[in-house]
Amino acid sequence: MLADSSIVVLALPEIYRELDTSVAGVTWVLVSFNLVMALAAVPAALLARRVGPGRAAAVGLAVFAGAGLACGAAEQLSTLIAARCVQALGGAAAVTAALELLPATVGSERRATVVWAGAGATGAALGPAVGGILTELVSWQSIFLVQVPVALAAAVPILAVARHEMATRVIEQEVRPAGRPHLWANLALAMVSAAIAAALFLLVLLLIEGWRLSPIGAALVVTAMPLAAILGSRLGPHVPDARARAAAGAILVSGGLAGLALLPKAEVALTLPPQLLIGVGLSLVLSALTETALSGRAPQAIHGGWTISARHAGVVIGLLALTPIFTADIEDQRAEAIEAGTAVILDSPVEPLLKLGLARRIAERLEGETGRVPTIGPAFRPLPDDPEDRADVEQLRDELQEQLNRGATHAFSPSFGLGALIGLLALIPIGLARRLDL
Amino acid sequence: MTRGRLLVGGSVAAALVLVGVYLLAGGASYEPQKAQDPCEPREWRDPGSLQQLAEQFSLSALDGAACQLGVSRETLARALATPEARERFGRRYGIDDEKLARAVRAGLLRAVDDAEAAGALTPLLAGPLRSTLEEIPLDQAIALINDASALLENVEGFFGPAQGVIERFFG
Repeated sequence: MLADSSIVVLALPEIYRELDTSVAGVTWVLVSFNLVMALAAVPAALLARRVGPGRAAAVGLAVFAGAGLACGAAEQLSTLIAARCVQALGGAAAVTAALELLPATVGSERRATVVWAGAGATGAALGPAVGGILTELVSWQSIFLVQVPVALAAAVPILAVARHEMATRVIEQEVRPAGRPHLWANLALAMVSAAIAAALFLLVLLLIEGWRLSPIGAALVVTAMPLAAILGSRLGPHVPDARARAAAGAILVSGGLAGLALLPKAEVALTLPPQLLIGVGLSLVLSALTETALSGRAPQAIHGGWTISARHAGVVIGLLALTPIFTADIEDQRAEAIEAGTAVILDSPVEPLLKLGLARRIAERLEGETGRVPTIGPAFRPLPDDPEDRADVEQLRDELQEQLNRGATHAFSPSFGLGALIGLLALIPIGLARRLDL
Repeated sequence: MTRGRLLVGGSVAAALVLVGVYLLAGGASYEPQKAQDPCEPREWRDPGSLQQLAEQFSLSALDGAACQLGVSRETLARALATPEARERFGRRYGIDDEKLARAVRAGLLRAVDDAEAAGALTPLLAGPLRSTLEEIPLDQAIALINDASALLENVEGFFGPAQGVIERFFG
């Protein structure tokens, strides 16, 4: 569940095409889930303490599985979004209850926090690859359907705990009032999560919709980010100062996003250094802020609920703030790319009559793909037989593709830049977190 | 220096190096090329055939008309491609047929000037061509911009055989 967004994001371009919606519309597949998670996490944690974490987790997993089935069967965007909301309700119950169940399993609350945060990082690491492979080899529906047996399998051992709770009725005795949440750590978590959501969501869209990579190709590329996160998680334990880790992480996330905003060419390899920074940064900052938010606060499940709420609220804010900017920019850049493409065609040395036919076919493709970065390759097929004409046409195709690549890449720059700024602004609550330990 | 400060310092350095390298590599200007100002003169390619001369003539005419209308050559080229596109263009930029006709005629005249200046049209051919183009109806003017080869074929056909004699006669 903690990895949900990183799995689902790879399927968004496919959902976008198949359900014939807009970028803003498809964003709600992620927004709805994260919004409900943000709103339901704390109430779900309270409920888990009242009815028992075992029962809450079992019911949560069952709801999550059932809603996953509905997501996979959805044929309309509205149905999918509604099912995602229900899925998030189940997810919130299961995730917060898990934090309550973990201390008994792993031995201590501190160890439980580390395992819980680690599970999130592992999920995020595997998420893009799982999402990309399933989307390309099976279908976008499969990413939701595969969650069903996984959730049910997780529910089986929890049922024993639930039965034990019902038999012993120890739950009510454990209910104790929760302290105030750590305001600054949670605020910083929300801001950093907004920046990270921007990084993952926008990068996937850039790779698939802008640069036309396959879902598996895009999944392989964005897996660099969680792999770097594993590297970052090895670095963390050597620095005991949580505030320094959080600050360093936020700076790295912002630096990586700034790098993505300033890509000097439409080349996959150039996304790797920024992803390395973001990955190491997110591992440092998320673990440091989660630890800070939970440190010395009880009960853990409630404060864990607050951190989940903050992280998912951050994702929602990031997506809602950046999507309109990005969609407007992609329209502007599409218009500029068409203008630049027209100039390339007009100035091309291709024989005029041949050019006229090509221009007509290219225009048809451009008109037919409003709101998207068009694919122009098919307009150039078949290539002329004459070697000289063929060379001219190929040169024209490459120059035109370069203009479209420039347009697509540039369309994402302001959103990546804004993500970098949000990441940098997180340094304010991180700085305040120690002085005003609220 | 504590490990915490080292980590923060290292992170700042890594972020600055990445941003600096990408800026130096042209990251701030990686965007679609900007359209050239149509009012600026554009270099004429050496036309190898009548068809290429016609294309060069059309491009020059587009530049001239676009300059008059205050739009890019590329926008106007797409607008003149079909009657529907022309209608959309007129609505969007508030340009009626009369204004468009004036601009297209001015563009064609500029094309004659450019062709003459580039040595692609002799003064003897350019003169009568100008007179014809000054009065040409809009639809024909647009057709000429889209395909000037018919016009140039006629001009060359009319003057072709006698051109050398006439030029020698008029000096």
